[in-house]
This record gives sequence, C-alpha cells and structure tokens, in this order.
Amino acid sequence: MENLTVGAAAEWIRSVILLILGNELLTDVVMKFVGLGACIGVILTAAIVLTYAERKVCAFMQVRLGPNRVGGRFGLLQPIADMLKLMSKEDIIPDGCDRIVWALSPMLLFVPSALIYGLFPFDEGVVFADVNVGVFLLLAISSQSVLPFLMGGYASNSKYAFIGGMRTVAQMLSYEAPMVFSLLGVVMITGSMRMTDIVAAQAENVWFVLLQPIAFIIFIISATAETNRTPFDLVEDESEIVAGPFAEYSGMRWALFFLAEYANLLSISILTTTFFLGGWHGPFLPGVFWFWMKVLFMVFVFMWFRWTFPRTRIDQMLSFSWKVLLPLALVNMMFTGIGVYVWRSMM
Amino acid sequence: MAGTETYTLNMGPQHPSTHGVLRVQLELDGENILSAKPIMGYLHRGIEKLLESRTYVQGVPYTDRLDYVSSMNNNFGFCRAVEELAGIEVPERAEYIRVIVAELNRIASHLVFIGSLAIDLGASTGMLYTFRDREEILDLFNLVCGARMTFHYIRVGGVNRDVQPEFIEKTYKFLEHVPVFMEEYKKILLGNEIFMSRLKGISKMSKETALSHNMTGPNIRATGIPYDIRKVDGYSVYPRFDFNVVTGKNGDNWDRFNVRYNEIFESAKIVRQALDGLPEGPFMAKVPKVLRPPKGEVFSRTEGTRGELGFYIVSDGSTKPYRVHIRRPSFVNMQGLNDMCRGYLIGDSVAAFSAIDPLMGEVDC
Amino acid sequence: MKTYIGADALALLKEKFHSVEYNTEEAKPAVYVPADELLQLLSFLRDEMGFTRMENVTSVDYKTYFEMVYHLFAWKTLDTCQDVPDENVWITVKVKLDHEHPVIPSVTSVFSSAEFEEREVFDLMGIDFTGHPDLRRILLWEGFSGHPLRKDYKQAAPPFVERITRRGH
Repeated sequence: MENLTVGAAAEWIRSVILLILGNELLTDVVMKFVGLGACIGVILTAAIVLTYAERKVCAFMQVRLGPNRVGGRFGLLQPIADMLKLMSKEDIIPDGCDRIVWALSPMLLFVPSALIYGLFPFDEGVVFADVNVGVFLLLAISSQSVLPFLMGGYASNSKYAFIGGMRTVAQMLSYEAPMVFSLLGVVMITGSMRMTDIVAAQAENVWFVLLQPIAFIIFIISATAETNRTPFDLVEDESEIVAGPFAEYSGMRWALFFLAEYANLLSISILTTTFFLGGWHGPFLPGVFWFWMKVLFMVFVFMWFRWTFPRTRIDQMLSFSWKVLLPLALVNMMFTGIGVYVWRSMM
Repeated sequence: MAGTETYTLNMGPQHPSTHGVLRVQLELDGENILSAKPIMGYLHRGIEKLLESRTYVQGVPYTDRLDYVSSMNNNFGFCRAVEELAGIEVPERAEYIRVIVAELNRIASHLVFIGSLAIDLGASTGMLYTFRDREEILDLFNLVCGARMTFHYIRVGGVNRDVQPEFIEKTYKFLEHVPVFMEEYKKILLGNEIFMSRLKGISKMSKETALSHNMTGPNIRATGIPYDIRKVDGYSVYPRFDFNVVTGKNGDNWDRFNVRYNEIFESAKIVRQALDGLPEGPFMAKVPKVLRPPKGEVFSRTEGTRGELGFYIVSDGSTKPYRVHIRRPSFVNMQGLNDMCRGYLIGDSVAAFSAIDPLMGEVDC
Repeated sequence: MKTYIGADALALLKEKFHSVEYNTEEAKPAVYVPADELLQLLSFLRDEMGFTRMENVTSVDYKTYFEMVYHLFAWKTLDTCQDVPDENVWITVKVKLDHEHPVIPSVTSVFSSAEFEEREVFDLMGIDFTGHPDLRRILLWEGFSGHPLRKDYKQAAPPFVERITRRGH
C-alpha cells in the first residue's frame, strides 16, 4: 500500500537522482524541477481529461451522446483531436490591436493559474511549497488573473472584448471579497494559514464542511464566479458579448485561455477539497485516491452547475455578491469567532 | 471628473443570439441601452416579386421559406387567400387536417422559442430538451408528407394527401406525451430562480405601446389583450373547437414566455378535438388544373405562430398573381424592439430579441 | 367573424368626405381617397368609426399609376379587452398616385404602427412619404438603385467576375 503513494514515488526518484549526482544539494534543486514538472503535468493532464469529461457530462445532461467517433465508441481520443485542431488553426491577429499586450494576455493568464498548484497539498507530504502563509499567498496569486482578462479585452480593439474585460474586473473584484471572508472562518478554526495544517486539523476533528456549512456555500458560489463558469460566466457570455475577451483570439492563443479555464476549474475543486472536504484524508484507501475522488466529485458539481443553470445578469450578479454573500460571510465570521472563543475557553 | 460618452455596438448580423441575420444597432452608455435600432434585409430574397412570376400553385412552396419554423401555418395562410380569391370550397376533412398540422406546427415553433430563449439566457440544456421533443412532431410531419422542414403539404383546395391511421395513432401518443415534457421544462426552466429573475419585469410593454406598434401574436397577448385571429376572425373550423386565448398581465418577458408555454397546451387541446372529430370525406376540393382566379383582390389573415399573417393578393385574371404582399408578423413586431430594449442592460437585449421571437426568413421575406 | 364595412357606413363616409369614391357594385368596395385628404379620412375612421388597427400597408404598381392600399380593422373590444367580439369589421382604403412622382403623406402621425411598412413600400416600390420620421431603405442596402417591386424594374446584369483557376489565370 505504501508504495502506491506519490510520496513513495518521489522518494524513489530522489534516490535515483542522488545515485547519479551524488550531491545532496544538487539533488534537492533537481527535485524542485521534478516537482514543477509534476505540477505542470497535472494541469495538462487535467485539461485533457476535463475537456473530455466536460463534453461527456454535458452530453449526458443534454440527452446527447457526446463525442463518439474519434477513438472508439466513447470518443476517447477527442481531446487529442481538439488539441491538434487548435494547434493547426491559423493565428489571426486583429487589425489595430495592441500587439504586445494582446499577445501577453493569454500567457499571463496561464501563469497565476499554474502558480497556485505549487501550494496544493496533494497527499501527505506531497506539496511543492508548504509555506506558512499558504492561504494568503494563494488568494494573492489567484487574484492576479483579473489583469490578463482586462489586457486581452483592452488590446483586442473590439467592443465586445472590451465590455467583457470590464465585466471581468467588476466580477472578480466583487467575488474576491466574500471568498476571502468565507475562508477566514476556516483559518480561524485552524489557527494557521498553512495548507497542510488546515488538512491536518480536519483529520483530527471533522471536515470543515460540517463546521462551516455557510462558508462552504459562499465559497462554492464565489469560486464559480471567480472561474467564470455558468451561472456567472458573464465574461465570456457567448449569447451577449460573443466570447468577451477571447473573441479575437484563435488557435493556440485561444487554447491557452482554454487551458487556464480548466486549470482554474481543477484548482477550485482542489481548494474546496482542501479547505472543506478534508483533503487527502479518508479511510482504507491511500490519500492520493481520496484526494482525487473528492476533487473529481467537485469538478462534476461545477460541471453540473454549468449545464443546468441559466446565466445571471451583470447587475444581479454584482448586487448578489455585495448585498447577500459579503454580509453573510461577515456574519459567519463573527459566529465562528464566538464559537472558537467559547471552545478555547472551555478546553 | 471625466466626461462619459455613449458608444454604438453593432449586434449582428453575425452574432450567436440574433436568430439568424438580424443586426441591431445598440446605443450604449456602459451596459445600459439608450436605443436599439433593428437593421434587417440580410436574408431578403424578394419572395413577393418571385411570387408574381409563379402560378398560384407554384407559389405555395415559397411560403414555406418565409417562417421556416412553422411552414404549415404559412401554407395555410397563402392557400386560404388563394381559395378566397378563386372561390374554392374546401372539404371539411381537409380543413380538419389543416388545423391539426397547423397546430402541431405551432407547438413545434413554440418549442423552438422556449429552446432559443433558454440558450440565449445561457441554459443550453433547456434548448436540447425542447429540440428533442420537437423531433417527435417533425417525425409526425415526416409521416404525413415526407418532409421535415419545408412541408408544402397544405395545397390550394385541400391538402396534398390524406392522413394515415398510423399518423392519427402516433399523434394521440404525442399528445399524451405533451404534459410530460412540459413538466420537465417547468423543472429545468420555469422553476429556476435565475431564469425567473432574468425575465420578470424586463422589457415591459404596456397595452397602449403594444397597440401603437401593431404587435400581434403572443407579444400582444402577453400585455393582456386577447387578440387571437383564430378567435377574432374564427376562420376555418376553429370556432368548432374549445380553446382559450392565453393572455399575460404585465407584458414583460416572463409573460411572453408563459403565454407561449401555455399556448402549447391549448394547441394540444385543439389537435385532440380535431382528431376526435375528424370527418370522413375527400381531402382535396376539385381545383381546376390551371387556376385562373377572377379579377379582383383579397386580404386574408390567419394566426401564424408569431402573430397575424396576412396575404394580400391582386389577381388580373391570369394564371399568375399580379401582386402579392405578405404582412409578416415578425416584421411588424420588430417595431417594438426599441421600446423593449431601451433602459435595460445588454443582457436583457438578448432576452428581448428572443422574446419577440422574430424569424429572419419572415422579417426579410 | 370578419365582415366588410356596410353600405350605410360607406354612405356616411361619402357624406363626410365628398372626394371619397367607391364602386357600389362591388361586394367589398375599396374606398378611394385623394392623397391630400388621406390623413383626415384615416383620423376620422380611427376616432369616429373605431378602426383602431392599421393591419396592412402596401402598394401595387398598375403600370400607369400606383395604388397605396391600407387595410383597417375595427375590433370593438380591443380597448376594454372584455370578451371576444362577434363582429370584426374591416375596410380597404386606397390612394391612386402618379407614376412619375409618387408622393403621399405618411400615415405614421395617425397610425404610428405603419412606420416599418411604409419604409418597406418606399424601399421596394419607390413611393415617397412626406412626414415619415425615419425614411430609409429597410430591406435593401443603401446604395441599391431601383425599386424591385415595380413592374418596369429590370434586374441589372450581375457583374462579370473573371473565373479564377487554381493557377491564378
């Protein structure tokens, strides 16, 4: 059983590298790169798996079959075909766009989405950077993804893209606040911002979804908004502003936006799992199985949202954030504070 | 403080939610719409001119291409006008069959409306569901005339061919199914809080405004005016059937949606009554091989799915009409677009296009 | 049921507007009115006789003259929305126009609903409407020359396009 875990695999790779290099320090440096590669690998694999999953989930919800031609009757090679199609597409550069900003936008968008994978505890001891201000760093990095949207929207020289860019700023700023306050409840109970501590605290007691049900719901809603998925996909919004900031991108540049979207989808599922569903903990099976089972369940929930809900309107969405979610999160925080105080004084 | 400027946004003709090739020039202040100007003609094929160079019988398939989602109703309207002009008496069985297929087509068209409104509001699953159920109606039409889209089934003097027992049996089965799938839409769309909040109180239109734009069909009925040509004129065999004119109260998008939603039940009611009372007899009147209506003119109107469909035909006594004018409901209804969009947000404009339910084949003719 | 306006009502109309003409032998006689009296007649029909709906506006080209055709409907319970009425009267109003310079006052001041239909007539038949709020082509594009629904309209030959082969000549 022990051999199956990621930690064991990492140990084995490390011993092999140590055998080759023969230097502890050099090995550690190389191991960091291995970890980095693993994170990127997770993202790319997730993009492939999730595109296929999204198509299939969506198809079954819509009483269709979904991909069923490429790669057998289940269309297993569909993501590969999609990828090849995107790569072979013409790179169309819109007339009158701000070339540098326009070209930077998809790359910059991918950076924060990929960066936060360094903070996720995938299993016992499997975390790239276990910093003591993990939650804080995570929120700081993920909020950077506003800028590329705005850049893309501004630089595309298209009104649809510009409206989309403006909407992104309004939407992401509004939902950042309730998301932070909902996480604070968890941090207050744990007493630490370190991600592994949060998971450990849930292993000792109960999952935080039971202790913090309101925070859980607020987090799910604002995470959906942060990743621009239905019912809050006003940024792309194909029926109103066509595709928002992505409207003028094609080929690989568009694929990067796509990749970032799925990286974000996976990362919010991982975050939900880590903060509220007890991370890698679970009986009988090794941690990595539990972790991915929970994550994939959350991914399914987010897909479920997407294919059943209509889209909200921008004003409804913003007022929902500021008038409902934020006060609720603050009240939740207050009660958590009282609860934690009472609990500590009783102990 | 910096000054603000308004800007113009051209929605369409290539835009996913303009139902074909409508172009709307939106004057925007941020996200708020100051005015919406519909610009059409991207699908103009000159059907009125084409009909002048075809005989009356040859003209029927052209009407299929007007409102291609409810072709039966267009055939019905055109054939009624020609029959009135030529003084042809249509056998009763043919009238019943016409009503059956026209009402089935109305259901199909309203299903497309529900689906397209759903997808315009981002609920693409709702659209797939309605299209799944519309498929059953198309299969019925396939049985009856061999076509699924442009039927050319209703002819001058009757219908193309008699209905088979299989069709009647399957239509009954379909009618059984109607409440089932309507319940499903209720669950996925009507009961959804977001869907409600997107439609309620949006694009409100008073009775007076609706009248001043001469809106017809579900759009005027949503404001509370029971204006339904089937009742008002009582053409064909409609007076024999018991059905209600569905009206709304507030004239907002929610009412427009609900009017169409409930009209599906009313249409199903008509179809059932027509099937029950389907008389025996010929399905085609004796129409001369070369149809030469006497000199004169006629204005005949029927209730199309989108409103009042009128045909004005001038005959000079020859085999071809001298002039045909089609009063297209979508075209006239488009006048209300500005009032429906002004003062609302971009997101509402999409719902307004959908709620007006224009079909560009009909608007541009 | 749809019924045409009665003979006595037409006589009343004739009494009020002396220039109104109609053929008494026809079953459904259209009312002919000179262009300059059109608006008065329509206002009278709308306000005094209850023809509140301008259902259809169109025109016919009779080669020597144009004819504007208006179909008006009176649905008595339209305002009260009470019950479905038994009678539903309609009338056809026609205006003959000169073929060289067809000009007619726009009826949008009386029936604002005629706006798009008049634009369509302007576009396809080339009849000028004075006093129309926004008289532009509606179905055809701005640079289009001619009016296709006229009987003497000749379609311009499609522009000659040189066939392009794969080799470029």
